[in-house]
Amino acid sequence: MSWFSSPSRMPRDMRDTLFLLAVIAWTLVPHAAWLSPSLSGLCAVVLVWRALLAWTQRPLPGRWALLGVLVAGTAIVWWEQKTLFGRDAGVTLLVLLMTLKTLELRARRDAMVVFFLGFFLILTQFFYSQSLIVTVGMTLAVWGWLTALSLAHMPAGYPSLWQAGRLAGWAALIGTPVMVALFVLFPRIGPLWAMPNDQGVTGLSDEMGLGDITQLAQDRSIAARLRFPEGAPPREPLYLRGPVLTHYDGQRWLTLPQAAPLTTWVPPPGTTPVRYEITLEPLRLALLPLPEHTLQRPEGLPLQGDWPSHPDRWGQWRLPAPAAQRFRLRGEAWPRFVQLEPLSPLWHRTFTATPSKRHPRTRAWADALAQRPDLQGASASQRAQALLTHIRTGGYGYTLSPGALGPDPVDTFWLDQRRGFCEHYAASVTLILRMMGVPARIVTGYLGTDPQPVDGYYIVRQSNAHAWVEYWEQGHGWIRLDPTAAVAPNRVETGQALSPAPTAMDRMMGTWYTDWLLQSRLWFEILDNRWNQWILGYGALQQNDLLQHLGWEGDTLLGLAQILLGLVCASALGGALWAWWDGRRRTPWERLRTLILDRLQQLDVAAQPHHSPAQLADLLAARHGSTAQELVAHFLALEQLRYAQGSDSTASASTPSVALRAWQRQFMDAARRLRAQTL
Amino acid sequence: MAVSAWHWPEALRWRRRLRHWWLGRLPVCESWTLTQRNIYIMPTPAGWAFAATLLLLLIGSINYQLNLGYALTFLLAGSALASMHMTHASLRGLRLHVRAPSPTFCGEGVRLEVVLTNPGATRHGLSLGPATWDAVGELAWAEVPARAQTSVHLSLAAPQRGYQLLPFLHLESRFPFGLFRAWTVWRPLGGAWVYPRPERPSPPLPAHPHDNPSGAQRRHVTGSEFEGVRPWRRGDSLRHIVWKKVARSGELVSRDTPATVQPQRWLDWQDTQLRDPEARLSRLAAWVLVCAAEERPFGLRLPGRELPCSGGAPQRQAALQALAEWQP
Repeated sequence: MSWFSSPSRMPRDMRDTLFLLAVIAWTLVPHAAWLSPSLSGLCAVVLVWRALLAWTQRPLPGRWALLGVLVAGTAIVWWEQKTLFGRDAGVTLLVLLMTLKTLELRARRDAMVVFFLGFFLILTQFFYSQSLIVTVGMTLAVWGWLTALSLAHMPAGYPSLWQAGRLAGWAALIGTPVMVALFVLFPRIGPLWAMPNDQGVTGLSDEMGLGDITQLAQDRSIAARLRFPEGAPPREPLYLRGPVLTHYDGQRWLTLPQAAPLTTWVPPPGTTPVRYEITLEPLRLALLPLPEHTLQRPEGLPLQGDWPSHPDRWGQWRLPAPAAQRFRLRGEAWPRFVQLEPLSPLWHRTFTATPSKRHPRTRAWADALAQRPDLQGASASQRAQALLTHIRTGGYGYTLSPGALGPDPVDTFWLDQRRGFCEHYAASVTLILRMMGVPARIVTGYLGTDPQPVDGYYIVRQSNAHAWVEYWEQGHGWIRLDPTAAVAPNRVETGQALSPAPTAMDRMMGTWYTDWLLQSRLWFEILDNRWNQWILGYGALQQNDLLQHLGWEGDTLLGLAQILLGLVCASALGGALWAWWDGRRRTPWERLRTLILDRLQQLDVAAQPHHSPAQLADLLAARHGSTAQELVAHFLALEQLRYAQGSDSTASASTPSVALRAWQRQFMDAARRLRAQTL
Repeated sequence: MAVSAWHWPEALRWRRRLRHWWLGRLPVCESWTLTQRNIYIMPTPAGWAFAATLLLLLIGSINYQLNLGYALTFLLAGSALASMHMTHASLRGLRLHVRAPSPTFCGEGVRLEVVLTNPGATRHGLSLGPATWDAVGELAWAEVPARAQTSVHLSLAAPQRGYQLLPFLHLESRFPFGLFRAWTVWRPLGGAWVYPRPERPSPPLPAHPHDNPSGAQRRHVTGSEFEGVRPWRRGDSLRHIVWKKVARSGELVSRDTPATVQPQRWLDWQDTQLRDPEARLSRLAAWVLVCAAEERPFGLRLPGRELPCSGGAPQRQAALQALAEWQP
């Protein structure tokens, strides 16, 4: 066989096999993004091998070769994953099995196994990405699989791929309403059993060392989308509160493992909450970054699960497990809320603890500040203000690339380099406040959004990650202090994201390029947002909304079940009606014939279905003689109508039905008259 | 028709009886139009496996909270539902009729031509085969283009002589996805003649007293003017037609030469010298074939039946039919 032979001249078997291999490859390709290179390579080699076997029409390898590849593949999986169980290892094995199954594709039963594996692999793809692009690719894969399936069921002849593809597409198209109805109405329940979560997602962390947030500053990916159903966002800078870092070991700041829940809270008198709707991207944290002072559980958390009803005492929304899923929540934030619970001596000690041997120069500087005459016996706020004044006047600057900070980053930053960004300022100020005896802690989270809403949603990016300080003022509670505001007011007041220094490339390409990039990114993000909101974010809350929109009050599950049942009944009834109609479908001629036979029977004429109108006329004349003259004439006219038009019956397809109706009316009248005469 | 060697377990007897009863209810008819009333549809084993796959996909989607997983599952479910209708539609509206099969000898297959008439769109993946009382026989694949007819040739086993009624025919489609199986069973009108298997190699014709050249019935006439002429009969060879006379009179006449005026030969049950009636019939069948091949007229004597002496194709057919339907 020549390498250049066209597909249409290939043997049917070869063509089908190559097509199936192409579909398999298409399904497996996205998996290559997370599979190890060695395994991807193995799969690719096996698929190419199989394709070559098909092309050269050589026999499939024997059992031993197959077993060898299987053992090798399993060994690679074991080597890389250290297990054969769990989600990733399981999916890897599935990919391997699918690839190997192609080497023993013989009987139709084998083929069916491949088909079912294929659908399964499409699903496993969604573990890793549910993006629009992957979805489009996987939709094509479904189409390909269905095409291959129908090709396998056209054993005779040489059906073209396009023919099979059209049939498969048609089936999928007819199935789409079913899909939509089920997708909207199928009750969204929580996971049936807990799955180990091993997804790595960038984002906030529950610990911080200086320099960590720089990575986030480079990450333009979306952390959350915010919408304010009651209009514009609040005037105040919008802080999303994430992990509160309280423990410092001299290197890193850590969160408290446990904090008691906030038990008592009173909304501040005379204030109104800001209502918001937030879509949070998956996090690796067991914590929801929500707008600050969200005091009650937001709506939209999955029905199952041990969700807290209030934030903990430090204002964090702790979850029982890391939030690997996308949350779409609705809540209220009380911007002027102040926590008035007293700080116990134990907590006081915790929040003023500093490692005694670290940062000697900064400690000396803090001691000197505390000894300043105007700060002797001053309140915590006065000390904090003094620090802010120092930052404003001390030649500090804001930069995302402060360079190497040496063995003692706090000393170097605070006393020498004086260039840094939020985490440097927050960490240093917290430390100095503690050194001066003021209970203080670092709060991390996100600050601000993109300036323009996309589709009504304000986008919070990973680059909006921020760190700020809270200190304890006796009688006033925890007070937020954002030292970054003193050096870069823009960052805080307008909520602009951190942006890395422009690269040489950016400078060369000029602004039009970045404008174009921004514009296209904006469009893509609009699309992506719609996708996220409508498809991926569709859950129990949205189902509830839909039911309420439809006027349903009460149990969501029951409502969904009733609507589904109603739809099933309606479509079954529709199908039955169609079947009835289809069974009774007759041409106008057939209907007319039934009518004529019926009437003639009443007139005592033994008419048969095969009689032509002229024959009926003869029969009538024989039975009733001249009294039936009128009716005989009618039948002769019908004979004309039926046969005189010649063979061209399609051209006058519409006129006969009109003529027939008119004829039928006249015929009925005449038959009635004749009946009256003869009786 | 083919007697199934299948033995049903005791517990399944009722199923067989049920099928018997149900097949017995089917009308015998000349042509079979497939409508809602005579098409049956059930999921195939692959269909059940697909349902199980869907369930797994659904559980996976629920557990990992994958909205796209839901979408995939429901899309596949919808497509499967659509495929059910497509499977049904690939049979609905078809019309079947069989061409009368030509007679065959026992042991050779009966070649049955079933004509599928398709008034609608193209039908793919049809399989047709004889349905015995218990199971479905060998299937032949067919495809009928839109608004066209296709013939499907079935080879039916014919182990018994006689006039065999046509078997139940089973038409099935699993198109497009093989998840559902739609089928119909039809009892076509008519049958096929199955002649006794002729003995091979064909035995010599029985020595007969009339074979003697000095026999009274032999008219030995030499000279062309004395050659008799008689009206042409079916089965006469063209070589024996007297074309000169035909040209003159316009009537077909055959030469009554010694070759054609062969003695009447009787193929007699008694002459077979065999015990087994079937073997006797086989031998007689072989003789009939020899006589027919040699274009010599013959008569057939069976116990209780006698076929007068004659020649030609009608005689051959009548004789073979007589042998086929002979009952002791």
